[in-house]
Amino acid sequence: MGVSSHSVAPDDGSAAGIVLAGGRSSRMGESKAALEWHGSTLLRRTTGLLARTVDGPVVVVRAPGQALPALPAGVETVDDPVEGRGPMQGIAIGLAALSDRARIAFVCSTDLPFLHPAYVRRVLSALDAEVDVVLPHAGGHRQPLAAAYRTALAPVVAGMVTHGQLKLAMLFDHCRVRRIDDAGLLADPRLRALDPELDSVLNVNEPDDYRVARARPAPEITVQRFGALASGGKRGPTVVEAATLGAAAAAVGLPLDRHVVAALNGDQITRDAEMPLVAGDTVAFLSADAGG
Amino acid sequence: MVVDVSGAGATGTPLELDDQVLRAYLGGVGLGTWLLHRLAPPGVDPLAPEAPLAFVFSPLVGTPLTTSAKFAVLAKSPLTGMITDALASSQFAISGKLTGNDAIVVRGRADELSVVLVDASGARLEAAPELAGMPAAEAESAVRERFGRGWRTAAIGSAGERGVRYATISHDGRHAGRGGLGAVLGAKNIKAVLVKAGTRVDVADPAAVLAAAKSLRERSFGPATAKYRELGTLANLLAFNAVSTLPTRNFTAATFAEAPRLAAEELHEMRGVARNSCASCSIGCEHIYSRKGGGSQRMEYENVFALGPLCGVSDPDDVFAASARCDELGIDTISAGGTIAWAMECVERGLIDAPWLRFGDGPALLRALDLIGSRSDGLGELLSLGSRAAASVVGQGSIDFAPQVKGLELPGYEPRSLQSMALGLAVNARGADHNRSGAYEADLSGDLDRLTGGSAHVAAAIGTEDRAAVMDSMILCKFLRGVFTEPFDEWATLLRSVTGWDVTADELRAVARRIVLAKRVFNLREGATTDDDTLPRRMLDTPLELGSGRTATLTAERLRSMVEGYYTGRGLDVEGRPDPSDVADLLLTP
Repeated sequence: MGVSSHSVAPDDGSAAGIVLAGGRSSRMGESKAALEWHGSTLLRRTTGLLARTVDGPVVVVRAPGQALPALPAGVETVDDPVEGRGPMQGIAIGLAALSDRARIAFVCSTDLPFLHPAYVRRVLSALDAEVDVVLPHAGGHRQPLAAAYRTALAPVVAGMVTHGQLKLAMLFDHCRVRRIDDAGLLADPRLRALDPELDSVLNVNEPDDYRVARARPAPEITVQRFGALASGGKRGPTVVEAATLGAAAAAVGLPLDRHVVAALNGDQITRDAEMPLVAGDTVAFLSADAGG
Repeated sequence: MVVDVSGAGATGTPLELDDQVLRAYLGGVGLGTWLLHRLAPPGVDPLAPEAPLAFVFSPLVGTPLTTSAKFAVLAKSPLTGMITDALASSQFAISGKLTGNDAIVVRGRADELSVVLVDASGARLEAAPELAGMPAAEAESAVRERFGRGWRTAAIGSAGERGVRYATISHDGRHAGRGGLGAVLGAKNIKAVLVKAGTRVDVADPAAVLAAAKSLRERSFGPATAKYRELGTLANLLAFNAVSTLPTRNFTAATFAEAPRLAAEELHEMRGVARNSCASCSIGCEHIYSRKGGGSQRMEYENVFALGPLCGVSDPDDVFAASARCDELGIDTISAGGTIAWAMECVERGLIDAPWLRFGDGPALLRALDLIGSRSDGLGELLSLGSRAAASVVGQGSIDFAPQVKGLELPGYEPRSLQSMALGLAVNARGADHNRSGAYEADLSGDLDRLTGGSAHVAAAIGTEDRAAVMDSMILCKFLRGVFTEPFDEWATLLRSVTGWDVTADELRAVARRIVLAKRVFNLREGATTDDDTLPRRMLDTPLELGSGRTATLTAERLRSMVEGYYTGRGLDVEGRPDPSDVADLLLTP
């Protein structure tokens, strides 16, 4: 069974993001969503990363009554009404929430602290009219929770859940799947340059995983300051280690107040201190007053 | 005072303004708008003798409040056929107010090139044929020699005398630049208006004014104005290039690879620089760079953008020279650069036969400016009309890439990557303008998505337009705006202490809406329609490639939706027309 690209989903080309936050985190022993990550939280990082990468909405699917840490502005929350049905249920809920607003969605779990936009874009770009799912096989494992899905799959997934078919493998038997291995992923030069080990799919399930991941140095970011922010010989690019925009600002001694804003990779402008940064990013700090 | 010039004489007639009007419009741009409604005959040719030109002062000028030494000049624009208003600064504003007038309106036409002199005793006309062809700065010096140092002068260059549609009026090197006010004065055969102080400014609460002045002055040294103090407005250039909003080669791109050569940061290191400020200003935003081969030139973001990246020119000395030439001729750098950039594209497309006029060619830029200044037959005459009128002559679809709204050339803010600003540019009464609609503030604040215009952008554009209307009418320099955290409350306090009016923040918000509406009503009277509230087709049909690799798209549908939202927010109907009850509030009926 395939889902036609001419089905109910709008063919507007927009891509969305879905983060499944409702897992039990039983091996971690505490909520993975709320784990500290460089002054932010793991969920804040994952959702912020998707929000800065996709042009459509980002939704978080949570378990009934689950408390979540603060999310970036604009990120939506949808409730999974039934607990314990696993990722199939979460994907069904997430796809349904997006099916009238985006054609495709990148679906991931909360616990991918090194997820890189280049990986997300590589996977999404492989979801063409010929397939319904792009399923990476990276790091020796199938990665259904770092994969791309056509939102028109929503009723298909929901139907399977209703019939007790809760294994993702069963879904892949019912739709058109494009599998991409390490080599296929890394054929993308940008991903090869920025995430050569495919750390994007490295998840943290146990306290030791988290400790090791957290001990890694923050990514290297290029910072540029303009105008009065560059006075005193601070012109030109500077490389700093920073996992968030706030950390990058602090590294060069700038406050992110109403007089200072930042442009991420020359694109969106923000003063969100928890905006996640990744290797290869360039942050331009500008005077917020642009009169002239 | 209304100064009627006729033959070899001038008659100054007081026009009494009651407190209700002054309080409803404040002064500056607001009061000037009311005066145009009252004094400009409907449908008047902007260059006809009966078309009024108003120099308007303000409640705050003459007080010790920093940045208050500014004046407004208003007329029906020969470039747009609609209202135009421009601000300039310094001693002319103070002396003009101290003539005892809130405004000086000039009408009529002199038999020969003359100057108008206004002081506390009235107005007179003096023939001054010796000033013909002089740059405004030279004319200022000449009249100072002739009439004495007590007079302050606003003058036009040769382009104003010749009727270039975007000629300026300037004082002390600062231009009331947009919309062709210099051509209006030139059409009256007036080279300069001179004012001489003869009264004093009394304020209602001197102690409160002094305290406010001290506070504002201290705040003017803070982070909100650091950019202006340290690098001036030219600091925008590299920053705008970094965020893909630096209009380049007639808006075909928004980044300019050679921008660093023209950047304030670079020029500060490579060139000697001096700072200067207007009278009564503690910011000191003016940055004056030395030129190769001697001399110096004040450079601002808008003249560098328009004569540099917009024309593809990257040699700073070419841009300095072009800017100096605009000053000498007395023409608006934005309209000059925009019109020439359009012509360069026309040449590329084979629509204009001037193969020497190529993007990136600095000497060609200077040659074009000279042709414009002299209105030489052919190309100079064509380009002196501005890009909209020139495109109507050239035809062949060239209007689609003429960088103008309502006939006024676009400033250095790319609408596709600043979509609040796109709306502000489309709906503003004087045309594509960054000073009456500073909606770019919202786009660059990080508070909304600058690439996807919607209802939040509409609210932002209305908000910045309202704040500008009040600042341009009190008047305070908008470079001070960042120091106010609760602007309407703080401005009401300032006005109370100066005027004694019990004005409130809410009253000022109503004043802002009234001024914006009065300008729109003037344009409607002169034939404007909702079709004028748009952007060049290029902005709506052609996505813009950003430096990040993404594209910014602004469709006609999205812009129309924002314009309709603006109409709703302003209480206008779908045609952009106000409710009659709102028009009654404008106090336009004699």
